[in-house]
Amino acid sequence: MSATVNERPDPGVPASEPPPVAPRPRNRVLPSPVSGQEFVLIGVIAALWIILAFATPAFFTAGSIQPLLVSTAPIALVGIGMTIIIITGGIDVSVGAAIMVCSVITAKLLVDQGLALPLAVLVSVIVGAVLGLVNGLLIAYGRVHAIIITFGTANIFLFLGLQIFGSSTVNGIPQTFDVFGRGVAGRTLGVPHAFLITVVIAGIAWWYLRHTAGGRHFYAIGGDAHAARLAGVRVQRRILLAYVVTGLLVGLASCFVIAQGTSTLDQSVGNGKELAVIAAVVIGGTSIMGGRGSVLGTLLGALLVQTVTSGVTQLGWNSQLSDLFVGVFIIVAVGADLIRERARRAG
Amino acid sequence: MTTTPALDKPSSGPSGNTESVAARVIRALLTQRIVLLAVLIGVVVVVFFIMDSGGYLTAPYDSDYMASSLINAVPLVMLGLAELLVILSGRGGIDLSVGAIVSLAGMIFGFAYGEWGWPLWLAIVLTAAFGGLCGALNGFLIAYIKFPALIATLATYYAYKSLAIVINNQRPISTPPIQELFSISRSVELPLIGGGLPDVPLGIFTFLIPTVIVVWVLLARTTYGRRLYAIGTNDTAGEWAGLPVKDTRFKAYVYAGVISGLVAVVTVAQFASARPDAGVSGSGMALPAITIAVLGGVAITGGIGRVAGVVLAALLIVWLNAGILLAFVGNEGSQYQLLALGTVLVFAALLNGITNRRYGGSR
Repeated sequence: MSATVNERPDPGVPASEPPPVAPRPRNRVLPSPVSGQEFVLIGVIAALWIILAFATPAFFTAGSIQPLLVSTAPIALVGIGMTIIIITGGIDVSVGAAIMVCSVITAKLLVDQGLALPLAVLVSVIVGAVLGLVNGLLIAYGRVHAIIITFGTANIFLFLGLQIFGSSTVNGIPQTFDVFGRGVAGRTLGVPHAFLITVVIAGIAWWYLRHTAGGRHFYAIGGDAHAARLAGVRVQRRILLAYVVTGLLVGLASCFVIAQGTSTLDQSVGNGKELAVIAAVVIGGTSIMGGRGSVLGTLLGALLVQTVTSGVTQLGWNSQLSDLFVGVFIIVAVGADLIRERARRAG
Repeated sequence: MTTTPALDKPSSGPSGNTESVAARVIRALLTQRIVLLAVLIGVVVVVFFIMDSGGYLTAPYDSDYMASSLINAVPLVMLGLAELLVILSGRGGIDLSVGAIVSLAGMIFGFAYGEWGWPLWLAIVLTAAFGGLCGALNGFLIAYIKFPALIATLATYYAYKSLAIVINNQRPISTPPIQELFSISRSVELPLIGGGLPDVPLGIFTFLIPTVIVVWVLLARTTYGRRLYAIGTNDTAGEWAGLPVKDTRFKAYVYAGVISGLVAVVTVAQFASARPDAGVSGSGMALPAITIAVLGGVAITGGIGRVAGVVLAALLIVWLNAGILLAFVGNEGSQYQLLALGTVLVFAALLNGITNRRYGGSR
């Protein structure tokens, strides 16, 4: 790129919401409820479902769609928290390890103490929140880049989880969590509870991020943390909140993970989930540079990732191929977003 | 430090105008990562020697053990240097895909050397070139299309990982020529001076030291190296200074890919088998590599970092891990290695933050 006057290189500050230099009539404060990225995602998911329906007649049956929605739930749920974190300009690569810690503690308590459902969920959520609090405190008050801290805490959480596992699996988990599971007990009117809960929480988060001052603060921090502080945002508390909320959601997602598994929990639980969650978030159009993104996109991103995974299996291909498609989708989705963003800035 | 603008607490504490010896030592430890790492390595070695003589370890922790554990430093240092190159390039540079490249390039090496019967040197060249190709895709997406590095390499991590497993239908390649390669991780006695010294793994000389020297020359003695630091420090300034910013950044990812390709050869030799999940099993190879780079004083924001820091950080982790393995019975040790890695990383990161705030740097 030649250094012409018109086209200065961006100094690295992501112009999330460009300053109203020449406010056109339609330049509102809030972006439209459904962004272009989300329309594209809906289109892609619809296209994939139609292709899959033609390729495998079994795809469009309740018996195939319901497990798809159930397995989308944990990724999407953690994705909601991850969206908030990424909007603030951070990232959390420790969620996979955190899921492991939450699920092993909860599973052990279910086996040993026979906890009731509400209590078990509460324990899992609290454990998740504590892990999130550790991340949040280190990142907000240590003022260190989030990716480094969470790489570190991921290792520490992994250690904790393995220690609690005690070099064996957790066996004989009771069916307490069946209300979140794949079975008949996990559905009301054919809609899986896990997915329903995820959608409700996503709705609340969507509204909070879009329509409350507190929610907009996250975007302000991601746009420019220094400017946000000068504007009166309590930056560190907000960042702390983002990680704690993610921790809470990790706790709940761990209950879903236990519910989806068999009665045995092994040490690979949560393995690689952090990358799946981040993939869902960025496919959903949330900018990794911060300041831009939506929970709706994340929900669709998670659905897309899970559709690809389940589609590859149903087509009878090597299940490992799904990762290749996820990679391609990340490139295409983010690439399309980059091009649109560039066009918007130029226009 | 006296010129620091008056903040909340101007030049209070031990860092006054006349620094005491203690303050100077603390300052050197905090601001010069190499000093800190050297001291930490000393502490680790002394602690384990003491534990060894006290009989707390399950096997002797002596110079022979330390030398033979160096084989673990080979992939760690090399991938740490790969991360050094890409993190230096700035604009959020990072490479999550190095482990997946190791897997995929390792399979390519397995085909070339183990199944097609290519000569060893040609197979190594092919593997390195293939790694470079994988890195070139990363570099193209990041430097030219302007993808955030985290996203681009996350995507290629998935893609390469998947291809590595699919390419040979989830089976490892361990034909006789591959199995004989194991000799690369054998220990050898040093010529001339080696009599009194412990034997050192061969891979150190064939792969590790050449890579370290090449990367050091590249960064410290070539125009390219200076350009890389320049664009990592300030992308825009580099562009206005007429530097080939995109090309420089692109090449950083290519070089990282080439190094990953070489690591693939080492890994195949170490396992005596080209495993499709060699670089991504467990927490993978990318995370430890990034940890090593950060611990070695590489600033995640780009433009700051030295080869010596990465090498010392890797030595610290390798000898720490080797000691931990002896301090626990069974697989407890490998779990405590995770704890040590995580704690050291968080500690190093917090230290970077404190150093920046106290001794200048960005706020």
